[in-house]
Amino acid sequence: MHKNDTVVPFGALLFAVALFLMAFLDNQNRVSETVAIPGAAHSLSVGIIGLMAFGMVMFIYGFIGLVGNYLEGTELRPSKHIAGPSSLPVVAGVVLSLLLVGLAGFFARTLVYAAKEGFNPSSLQGGVFAAMMLIIAILLVIYKKFFMEEEVLAEEEKGEFPW
Amino acid sequence: MYQWLDERLDITRFNNKVLRKAFPVHHTFFLGEITLFAFVVLVLTGIFLTFNYEPSTRLIKVAGYTDPVQAAYASILYIDSLPFGAVIRSVHHWSAHIMIAAAFLHLLRILLSGAYKKPRELNWIIGMLMLVTSIVVAFTGYALPYDNYAVTATRIGHGIAQSVPWVGVAVAQIMFGGDFPGSDHSIPRLFSLHVLWLPLALMGLIGAHLLIMVKQKHTQPKYAEKVAPGKILGVPLFPQQAVMSGVLFLVYVAVVTLIAGGFLAHPVEAYGPLSANTPAVKPDWYFLWIYGLLKIIPSHWEFTIPLFNGGKFGPEFWGGVLIPSILLVGGLLIPFFSVTKDGQKQRYLELPSQKPVRTSLTIAGLMFLIMGTLAGYIGDSGMEWLTIPVAWTLLIVAPIVTYFVCYIIMRAIWGKTWPQEPQIEFIGGAKGSAADD
Repeated sequence: MHKNDTVVPFGALLFAVALFLMAFLDNQNRVSETVAIPGAAHSLSVGIIGLMAFGMVMFIYGFIGLVGNYLEGTELRPSKHIAGPSSLPVVAGVVLSLLLVGLAGFFARTLVYAAKEGFNPSSLQGGVFAAMMLIIAILLVIYKKFFMEEEVLAEEEKGEFPW
Repeated sequence: MYQWLDERLDITRFNNKVLRKAFPVHHTFFLGEITLFAFVVLVLTGIFLTFNYEPSTRLIKVAGYTDPVQAAYASILYIDSLPFGAVIRSVHHWSAHIMIAAAFLHLLRILLSGAYKKPRELNWIIGMLMLVTSIVVAFTGYALPYDNYAVTATRIGHGIAQSVPWVGVAVAQIMFGGDFPGSDHSIPRLFSLHVLWLPLALMGLIGAHLLIMVKQKHTQPKYAEKVAPGKILGVPLFPQQAVMSGVLFLVYVAVVTLIAGGFLAHPVEAYGPLSANTPAVKPDWYFLWIYGLLKIIPSHWEFTIPLFNGGKFGPEFWGGVLIPSILLVGGLLIPFFSVTKDGQKQRYLELPSQKPVRTSLTIAGLMFLIMGTLAGYIGDSGMEWLTIPVAWTLLIVAPIVTYFVCYIIMRAIWGKTWPQEPQIEFIGGAKGSAADD
């Protein structure tokens, strides 16, 4: 709590792994239920949904906590920082952008396939869409780390906004 | 272009006044943002769902089903058949769970770090109300697919609403539009509450919460006291914090879409449409502790007060209304029992280890909820050891033991540092000079 440390986010990631593992083991031990409509996907129990929901929150929190520490550091000091020129981030940005375009095309193909065949490959669609979002997030991280002017403010506690 | 707009709208002033607000940096602040982004995703995916959902119980013929099914159920089948439709519906479902989990963890962080103290008491109360409203919104959406499981699980909530003495039947009538299931008005009523009135209330609460937060500023990490005493140390809202929030939003969408695609949270075809066969159901995980209380409270714990047509106080009222209400009111009153020294403003995050009683009580409270949840599994296969007397013992003893174990462990590890304030080396200015008003 004293600083923007990495200990708590890393602990959150470990906790997320533990929660997902518990959900997996819980699912392994479940008595398999018959589904009402043949061919339908099996449902998850409420306990597994709860474990996975907390697991996802912990994972997102831990991940963004580590990213935040990488981008903004452990402690702030009032200052201005102008990014220096660098080639590697540009190359990484171009490669990731090309990958994003390729994935976007592939995602569109999954939609066309679903429309034609009447079957949604949900795992594939979700995975490809997730990869696209993650690539855009990485592009933003690269931009913030290597191209953005950074500033730390020390603002008066009393302000006129919003009133 | 900028100059043209600036001459007309004074954008520079807007930038200086609003967009350059200092935003303190600490990883725990992301829990509130995760909650907010879950709500944003719920609204966005919810808009798609409303385009294709029919809030009606009229019977229609659907290919693959021998008997007609309710239109609400049929429209879920239709949504699932649309390209990417099943994933979007699954993202909506998972986001509801994530929003409640993240809001709960956010409140827990506020509680453990003392951020609810003066001047943030009002925002604590609004935060608690937001958590309750989120749970009610999720509940009203649960029955909408109108599959056999969802309808049976929602009946538990209908029974709890009806159990409130004197006013319960009227509350259930307002919320469910009549008997549930059975009334043709139930689904349109729940749909209206779920997509319009409760989200509007939630938006109002979120707006007030953010506005008050901007006015009162964040509690800051303790190191900020030595770097800029009496000031708010942070990065500008735009562009730095906005980019960071953008990264978080994209990571949120990535993680939830991945999970939602792989694990469809509520595949309606697994349960089938409403039928005479009542499946073995449990309410969602955030109601499981209440369900557990309902299981262990004896059915004979009831009496009637013979006033105004008789007010019945039964087990559903004790477990489903009274105990949750006591916990809610207790939670709302926390800022008025735990105050700052000399009525000063709480400016910096407290370490949980420096407040052993509060931390131990919080963990004991969590243990109570976990034990209540465990009681919800009484009678399940593989849980034969969990009888009602065992569940009662765990519910009462486990939180008390947890409190003392936590307290003793904290005393052993950090006891020597409790009387001391953290050592802060002041770089410039007097401690809290600008803000001790």
